[in-house]
Amino acid sequence: MTEKKDQKEILTLGIESSCDETSAAVLRGGREILSNIISTQIPIHQKFGGVVPEIASRKHIVNIMPVIDEAIREAGVDLGDIDQVAVTYGPGLVGALLVGVSAGKSLAYALEVPLVGVNHLEGHIFANFLSDRELEPPFMALVVSGGHTALVDVRGYNEFRMMGQTRDDAAGEAFDKIARVMGLPYPGGPRIDALAKEGNPLAIDFPRALEEKGNYEFSFSGLKSAVLNYINSEKMKGHELNKADIAASFQHSVIEVLTHKAFEAVAEAGRNTLVLAGGVAANSGLEARLREEAGRRGVKFSYPSKILCTDNAAMIACRGYYQAQAGLFSDHYLNAVPGLTLTDK
Amino acid sequence: MSVVLAIDTATQVSSVAVASETRLFAELTMQARLTHSETLLPHIEQVLKMANVEKEDLDGLAVSLGPGSFTGLRIGLAAAKAICYALKLPLIGVPTLEALAWHYPVPGVRVMTLLDAQKGNAYRQSFCFQEGHMEAMDEITVAGLREVAASCSEMNGPVVLLGDVVPKKIAGKLELPENVALAPPHLVMPRAACVAQVGLRKLAAGEVGNVMDMEPVYIRRSEAEVLWEKRHPEAAEGKAAEA
Repeated sequence: MTEKKDQKEILTLGIESSCDETSAAVLRGGREILSNIISTQIPIHQKFGGVVPEIASRKHIVNIMPVIDEAIREAGVDLGDIDQVAVTYGPGLVGALLVGVSAGKSLAYALEVPLVGVNHLEGHIFANFLSDRELEPPFMALVVSGGHTALVDVRGYNEFRMMGQTRDDAAGEAFDKIARVMGLPYPGGPRIDALAKEGNPLAIDFPRALEEKGNYEFSFSGLKSAVLNYINSEKMKGHELNKADIAASFQHSVIEVLTHKAFEAVAEAGRNTLVLAGGVAANSGLEARLREEAGRRGVKFSYPSKILCTDNAAMIACRGYYQAQAGLFSDHYLNAVPGLTLTDK
Repeated sequence: MSVVLAIDTATQVSSVAVASETRLFAELTMQARLTHSETLLPHIEQVLKMANVEKEDLDGLAVSLGPGSFTGLRIGLAAAKAICYALKLPLIGVPTLEALAWHYPVPGVRVMTLLDAQKGNAYRQSFCFQEGHMEAMDEITVAGLREVAASCSEMNGPVVLLGDVVPKKIAGKLELPENVALAPPHLVMPRAACVAQVGLRKLAAGEVGNVMDMEPVYIRRSEAEVLWEKRHPEAAEGKAAEA
């Protein structure tokens, strides 16, 4: 029997393949990234105007081992030194998830180390622990990603309370759809963010849903329809589209709803820290507005560095580390759960 | 003598075996509506245990590469790659249809392997056992089931059909020429014992794959790619010219 390793020295191998990024990372302890390799497929999916699940899965099965191997080598550790394997099992594209889940399970088995199945959305929240190594629960997390929008009161590393989440379309979906209709290349979010900087956010008055006090649910389908209707009616009238104004006004509407609800949730839960998480956290307009409001209210605000906002395995390893600390392991029957959501824990 | 672990998840059958050139130590073959993702790894553990073989004592891992269910193939290959990478084992890719044909190593019999390719089609390839080898008589193609049935009448001698479409879409549903027989349930689906035999031959011949770049044999492109090229004929032609 070997001596129990110091928890700060525990090596976690993280694996992520939920959408169009194949990623593997090695984490020492809960917070120190030794490697975080991300192989993106964005250029491959661009011509299709969005992620094609079958093509994504075909890329994952080719990329998975080189990415894992590079993560091990860059970390400067031996594969045999890995203490546990953390792998994303949902939400995401089922065919894509299955590649990572199958590889992760099999590695854990072959290395005879514990397996931890990780919720990708919780991973996004935990990216904040990597960017801000002093961050500790409790805090409020605003999760804004391609498929999800949610407010989560993070009371402890394994204790979450859902304040509210999206009823229909997530913010990221609205960004992508509107970008497509305006003829912007995939991925649309960053393009709208860039375009919005050149436009007038008050040019068009788009609706904001569920703004009543104490409601932490989100709905972006009405806003999406309003923007699409506006674009269509302008086209019918033969008007030249002012894309910058549309982008700015749409983004303004999204940001105001998110900001309003986030700080109301912070106040209700009595938190003094707000963190931003998820792919849309890379949106500069959202980040700037939350920062400004946090400053005004004296709330601490943080968000992950750009690379940790994208889908990456370091955040999965981080989430996996804290699950393992609480003994929350998975067995070898672990399956992909494409529709996994955030829930109270 | 070599001992290999073999995996086949190309169809709804989940099959795992441990075998050498002279012996099938253990095999677990199931078609019970459970997903490969859930059961494959527990099955691998159980079969090794039943065979009384330590994973460290394996000489290689043979995996059924396709054609077949895209997702099933990837689950099997991802598991195979990860195990080979961690245990530094040779990874052997085995053509699914060739392994399937090993149910009938009988000289003079044409073995027509057929796996579901959706919409009334099958991935098809025919084999004949000759001088101790399973010889492919043609290339893998995607063909309509009626077309396959009709083509069998032009073949000399007995033809046996096997593969998942036989019970699903052929037996009792298609009229068959007189020289055609259908494989019975225990010989109609892919089994890892056959994958092991083909894998062991490849291992002996030094035909070992690379964990870093091995891909399933899909035969078919994704529908999105096919559709895209239909809509962009210029780009598709340019690509063909390049190739």
